[in-house]
Amino acid sequence: MASGIRIKAKLTGDQVEVKTLMKHEMETGTRKDSKTGETVPAHYIQEVKAEINGNVVMTANWGPAVSKNPYLSFNVNGAKAGDTLKISWVDNKGETDSAETTIS
Amino acid sequence: MYRSTRGLPVAVAAAAVLFIAGRFVPALAGDTGGAPEGPTIGPEVPAVEISLAYRPELDPGRAGYYGFGTTATPEMIAGWDIDVRPDGTGLPEGSGSVEEGEPLYEEQCAACHGFFGEGEGRWPKLAGGYGTLTEARPEKTIGSYWPYASTVWDYVHRAMPFFEPQSLTDDEVYAIVAYLLYLNDIVGDDFVLTRDNLAGIEMPHRDGFFVDPRPDVQNVACMKDCKDPDSIKITWDSTDLGVTPTEFFKGDEEEGETATAADPNLGLNVYQQACATCHKGGLAGAPIVGDRDQWRTRLAQGMDVLVEHAVNGYQGSAGYMPPKGGQIQLTDEEVAAAVRYMTASASE
Repeated sequence: MASGIRIKAKLTGDQVEVKTLMKHEMETGTRKDSKTGETVPAHYIQEVKAEINGNVVMTANWGPAVSKNPYLSFNVNGAKAGDTLKISWVDNKGETDSAETTIS
Repeated sequence: MYRSTRGLPVAVAAAAVLFIAGRFVPALAGDTGGAPEGPTIGPEVPAVEISLAYRPELDPGRAGYYGFGTTATPEMIAGWDIDVRPDGTGLPEGSGSVEEGEPLYEEQCAACHGFFGEGEGRWPKLAGGYGTLTEARPEKTIGSYWPYASTVWDYVHRAMPFFEPQSLTDDEVYAIVAYLLYLNDIVGDDFVLTRDNLAGIEMPHRDGFFVDPRPDVQNVACMKDCKDPDSIKITWDSTDLGVTPTEFFKGDEEEGETATAADPNLGLNVYQQACATCHKGGLAGAPIVGDRDQWRTRLAQGMDVLVEHAVNGYQGSAGYMPPKGGQIQLTDEEVAAAVRYMTASASE
């Protein structure tokens, strides 16, 4: 609950299907506040990293075009049930979040 | 969302009466000789009392017994009475955990609502959306909008899954509701939802609603010093504006005995057959149908004069009207109808 990332990782055959939902504003930096008229400062995830048992299996470089509360899904070969999957992100303000789950 | 069970007997009785009216009146209307005994409605029994409280005797052997208005049995009521209240009233025994709910949710719900309740495509989003209710695009989810957890239970139990509603067991509903609460960060991942703890769950938007403070408006019918219905007369209607053609119907009243006069399209038909050649475009000085200015002075002479001119022919300043427009096979009636048709469209 403390993390804003939700993960599901399910092994089917020799592939792990990973689904994640990250809670983030993903401000583009071009939007204006409707009341004050001032530009809302950019605030978006720049790097997403997936690690299995400490080994990085995927890195994604994101920008302001990615939607609010982004949903990400990908498949990984060669993992086993019981392995630990960690998803983490770093945004342009240097903030970070991470979550771990066990592959089932 | 919450259906009152008190309304049920009325609804059942009303449906029964409608059924009688819809099904048996047409049959009885053509069968005035042998109306069955017992309660019937039809033109020959005008004063039968039909009220929502009416119940026929429970005697299937009696003639005229249709079996309507039977009192609902406790089992029948239990089938309808499935609502769950915010205080937990109506919940059955059972329980379900977030852990049990996850696979159930993924199997039964996630195809449309998304694996995290984010909503696939345009299907409803179930989780998230906190603080968006005042924004331009509010996201109304269970967590951001619904005031009571009981509604989640009631709705999932009543209407979900979309293609097979009410196919889940009570424990499965508890587990799915627990998982939905978990997806909305309302409970932890080790939570177990039961009949007893559901009402105690504090939903984030619980205090976001208020009772409409505007008073009820009472409109009491007077029903005193009412006007005598016989004294009420229609004093004006749209025909007084001259926009509604009435000449056909006046003709019906005056000459209603002849079959041809009863044809409301007679004037139109004769006009198209015999008169339009000249009167449609103003050939040979003929007054054009629909042109008020051309007809005004002619109408001032009166309808009888116009009909007389049309039947017998007339040499006017503008041109010559041959007798019956040259179609001497027409009867005087047919010519008169055509004149009425032509002048109706020109009169104010």
